[in-house]
This record gives sequence, structure tokens and C-alpha cells, in this order.
Amino acid sequence: MELRYFIIRRILLLIPTLIGLTLLTFILVRALPTSLLLSQYVNPHSTLPRSVQIAHAKALLGLNYPVPVQYFFYLSALFHGEWGFMVSNFYTGPVLTGIEEFFPNTLQLTIFAVILSIIISIPLGTYIGSRPNSVADHAGRIFSLAVYAMPAFVLALVLQIVLGRGAITGNPLGVFPISGTFNYALVPFPVPSWLTSPNTSALVSHPTHLIIFDALIHHNYAIAYSGLLHIVLPVITLTLGILAGIVRFLRAGMMDNMRQEYVKTARAKGVPENVIIKRHIRKNALIPTVTVLGLLFASLLGGVVLIEDVFDYPGMGLLGINAITSYSIYGVMGVTLVFGLVLVFANLIVDVVYAFLDPRIRY
Amino acid sequence: MAEVEAFKIRRKEEKKRSARMEDFLFTLKLIFHNRIAFAGLVITLAYFIIAIIDYADPRWLGVSNLSDALAFLHGKAYYPSATLVTPPTLAHGWYYWLGTTEYGIPILPDMLAALKVDLTLSVEIVLSGALIGLILGTVSAYYGGLIDEAMMRITDIFFSIPALILALAIAFIIGLTFTNIALAFIIVWWPIYARLGRSLTLSIKNMNFIEAANAAGSSSARNIFYHVIPGVLSPLFVQFSLDIGTVVQLFAALEFLGVVPVDPFLPELGRMMVWGETYLIYGKWWAVIIPAIFLMIFTISVSLLGDGLRDVLDPRQRR
Repeated sequence: MELRYFIIRRILLLIPTLIGLTLLTFILVRALPTSLLLSQYVNPHSTLPRSVQIAHAKALLGLNYPVPVQYFFYLSALFHGEWGFMVSNFYTGPVLTGIEEFFPNTLQLTIFAVILSIIISIPLGTYIGSRPNSVADHAGRIFSLAVYAMPAFVLALVLQIVLGRGAITGNPLGVFPISGTFNYALVPFPVPSWLTSPNTSALVSHPTHLIIFDALIHHNYAIAYSGLLHIVLPVITLTLGILAGIVRFLRAGMMDNMRQEYVKTARAKGVPENVIIKRHIRKNALIPTVTVLGLLFASLLGGVVLIEDVFDYPGMGLLGINAITSYSIYGVMGVTLVFGLVLVFANLIVDVVYAFLDPRIRY
Repeated sequence: MAEVEAFKIRRKEEKKRSARMEDFLFTLKLIFHNRIAFAGLVITLAYFIIAIIDYADPRWLGVSNLSDALAFLHGKAYYPSATLVTPPTLAHGWYYWLGTTEYGIPILPDMLAALKVDLTLSVEIVLSGALIGLILGTVSAYYGGLIDEAMMRITDIFFSIPALILALAIAFIIGLTFTNIALAFIIVWWPIYARLGRSLTLSIKNMNFIEAANAAGSSSARNIFYHVIPGVLSPLFVQFSLDIGTVVQLFAALEFLGVVPVDPFLPELGRMMVWGETYLIYGKWWAVIIPAIFLMIFTISVSLLGDGLRDVLDPRQRR
């Protein structure tokens, strides 16, 4: 099968998954008692009688229809961008607008973490894997186990104490800020229009909602630099969380491939050792590693919720947590749905990359 | 005549049992020879034994908790302040070896008491998830066809949302209490085992011994419970041992996020870390780092044990 057809087939397989995903969030919403759903639409201060308000809300939510029909209403609302409304201390407004404002931050953290972990883990895994049972190997294994076993938020707290500015007074290593997206003191007095949002107390920048890029676009280099400093610690924490997994798999793959016949052949014909390791063994060892990337990305998305909470980084995680603590059903479901969509598409990319690297699985 | 028959049957059973015993002893021997796995086994057992002792009689551990601490403080002018958080010291007996946390609760006995709650919770969650997943996975894979396809689509849906977030969403719907979050974790946890059980069943179900069982007139249900599930168990057990540590961590994380109501009277590692975090900025690191390391040791030893078991139970390595 050509790669093209594989991709088309894979995208078609996406449809049942997406239907299931929306079905799951729909079932979760409908699992709530109807009165609880309706209570959000009843205004005790209104002059309209309560029964009329309830009837209106029922008609609005389509609760008079059978449940399967309601699912289609739900889908149509999703497609029309009506993801509901949420009220919380952190953000108040339409859920979709909130996701639009805070999702870029989360995406930025995860993408930086993925890139950084790949940059670090591939040379590290190659080095460790090509020297099994050496000191570096044992050190690497112990380190990866320790990082794997440490709760993510404790790791974040430790990093804040060791590298965070102001966490401990007089710490020479304390360079990096420990909370927020950038230093608010740098905001010029009449707050520029690109830095304000009507819905949230956090300063949200426009047009990309990523403070680093927006500040660069608007030529405010101090803010851009501050934004860059602020993502260092969260990204390091996230990176450490998935680094261990990649290194472990790469090491196992390297050791598996070391014993293969083709390596002997390459040695016999006199290929230099580092070329064997880099070009022959590592390329083959990377193939199974790509498959775990999807799983690791899922754990990364779970971890980002914690990390955003510790570092007070306004992203999807904080939005979700605030939606939960302020009992905003639609906020919770919107965030869940978006995380699900991200994971589904990440898995799609991983599968396509895997098929590209290893033609065997296309058949 | 009948006696002879009965004797023969008993003899046969004894032989079977002794073969099983030998197999078990051989497994133990292999674990014993793998030093890292053995260390993992010893530490894990120690953790569980502490929890069991605590179940038998909490006084044996001399466990202290918030009610004890409050009773002790009763009558004194009491403010919940940082002065009660004292560093690790060898001066006042083993109670205070690891220092105290909020309300002056000594950390060491509190951690030992916490094991009871945490290990029970994680074993409950993982065991229920594993049982549900195992049965659904093996049955769907054994029958195949439409059931299997439906099963796979359902697990796909569960895998398409990060576990932590899905558990939060489910717990949010059924109500954010301690028990409900455990329930949500069970709902999130079974698909892993269903997948694993399914893939293992697929590799087993076409083997000759299943065919032989069929030929001998064994029913499908008997096949599944007597022939397929025993073959599937050992890899599942490895996954089980790896998950036990993860669940305690996830629970601690949820408490840290502030979505689980923290019960101050319930000794629990996550609660201890959440309390300790408040004092971290005062330089009182022990209140959070020590419970974290305690949990870390458990997770590490459990996963070392799991890795060791994977090697030991692998039939290719047993020969």
C-alpha cells in the first residue's frame, strides 16, 4: 500500500473515534440529573415565573426530544461553535473563546517539551544504549527511574526551589521566574490593546495568544524575553517527565539491534563503529520508540494540567481545573473534548510517521 | 476397586500440585537470583506488611494522626502555625525522626498510617480495573467478530482522552468525593487491561491445546476460564505491579490540584504533600520532600519488581 492510501485509511478510521469521543462527553453531560443542568438556566431574580423559565431552558437544551436525537443537537452545537458558557474566577465567557485564548499556551508548553525531550533523549539514548552495563548506563537508568517515580508536582516544586527566582532568598541559581506567563511589571501604562481580553483577569495577548510571539510582533522585546524566561521551568519539568520513557525505549531498541546480523555484516566490511551506531543501529532502534511517543504524549497532556497549576501558567489545564472547582459543566466538557482531539490527532501523526519510517506496517 | 480409582485420582492431583509448587519455587528462585528484582520484592512486601499490620491493630505502629495531635494540643494555646513544623531530629524518639508537619503531626508514623489508605485504594482500583478488563478483553477476543470490534472501538474512545483528564471529568459528573474519584479511576483503568488481555488471548486462542480442549468437548466458557485466562495472567500481573505505584501518584496529584476534598483526619500521602507544600517557601522542605521520597521508593521498588517479573515469567527466559 502506498503511504497516501495508508493515510487516507487512517483518517477514515478517525471518524468512529471522533464520534465516540463526542458521544462520551455527551453521555457525561446527560448523566447529570436534568434538574442540575436546568438550574444553570434559571434566574432567581427574573420576573418570569420559574416554571416558564424551566420550560424555556428545556426547549433550549432540546430536553423534550429523545436522547439519541439530543446527541445530534449536541453535535450540531459543537460544529456551530456553541460550546456553552462558563463562569469562574479565572475565566468567564463562552467556553470556545476561553479555549481559543488559553489553548495556544498549553500547545506551546507541550511542543517545546516534546522538541526538547527529543533533542536530549536521542543522543542520550544512543550513548547509553551503545554502552550497555557501563557506568553511564546505570546512572541513566537510575536517573530515569527516579524521575519516573517522582510525582510531577513535587519535581516542579523542587525545580522552583532550586532554580526559581525568589523562592529562596539569596539563591545564586535562582534565575527563572516561577509563575505566570511574563512579568506584568513590564506592561506599559495605558495597557496596549493587544494585551487585553474582555473575559479574563489574566493578560491575554493578540493575535496568536502566545506572549513571546505577540511581543515580538509588537516590537516589545523586554516582554518577549520575560515570556521566554517564564516557560523555562515548566518546559523542563514536562521534559523530564517524558524523557525517561523515550531514553528507556531507545536503549532497549539499541540493545536489541546490536545483536542483529546486519550489524555484524557492517562491522565485517569495515564500517567505522560510530557510523554503525548512528546510521545503522539508531535508525532501526528509533522505529519502536516512535510508537511510544503517542502514549507519552498522552501522559504529557495529563502532566501539563499539573504543571500549569504549579507554575500558574494560564492554559487549558488551569481552565479545566477552574471549571471543575466552579462547577461549570460545559467548561469541563469543552476542555476534555479538546484534550481528546489533541491526543487523537497526535496519535494520527505518530501513526503516519511510523508508517513512513517502517513500510512493513502499511501492509 | 473404587478405592483404587480414588487413590489414583488423588495421586494425579498431588502430582499436578507438586508440579505447580515446583514451578512456583522455580519462579521464586529466579527472582532471588535477580538481585534488583529481589530488592524490589522485599521493599514492596515491607510496604504491604506495614499496611497489613496497621489493619490488624493500629496501636502496634504507635500511629499518630490529626486527632491524636489535637488531643495532645488540647488545653494549650494553639495556633496552626509554622512553628509546629519541626525539622527531622533524633532527639525525641522514633516518632520525630523525620520531623513534623502541620499541626505538629509527626511525619514518620503518619506516613506509615498513610500506607494503609493509599495501598488499599490503589490495589482496589487496579484490581477492579484489571478484573473488568481481563474478562471483557478475553471474552471479546475469544468470540471475535462484532463483539470484538465493538470492544476495540470502546477502548479506543477511552484511550483518546488522557487518563487523568478523563478521570477528572467522570469524577466531576458523579460528584467529587474520595470514593467517586476511586470509581472514576476504575472506569478509566479497565481499557488498558482489556487491550492487553485481548492481544494475549488472540495469540493463545489458536493454539493446539485450545483445539484439544474443544475436541474433548469443553465449552467456550470453560475454555476461557480454565485455559485462556491462566495463560493471560502473568503478563497482566506485570502491568498490575507497574500500575499500583502510578495510581497512588495520580491520587496525590489530584489532591494537589485541589479537586479532591482533602480529609485532614485521613492519613494519606497526597494530603501530607499538599500540606507540606505550604511550608516549602519557608525552607521547611521535609514536610513535602520526605513523603514524596517515601512514595518514590515504593513506585521504584514496585516497578523494579514488575521488570523482574516480566523477565522471570517470560517463558523464553525460563528454559
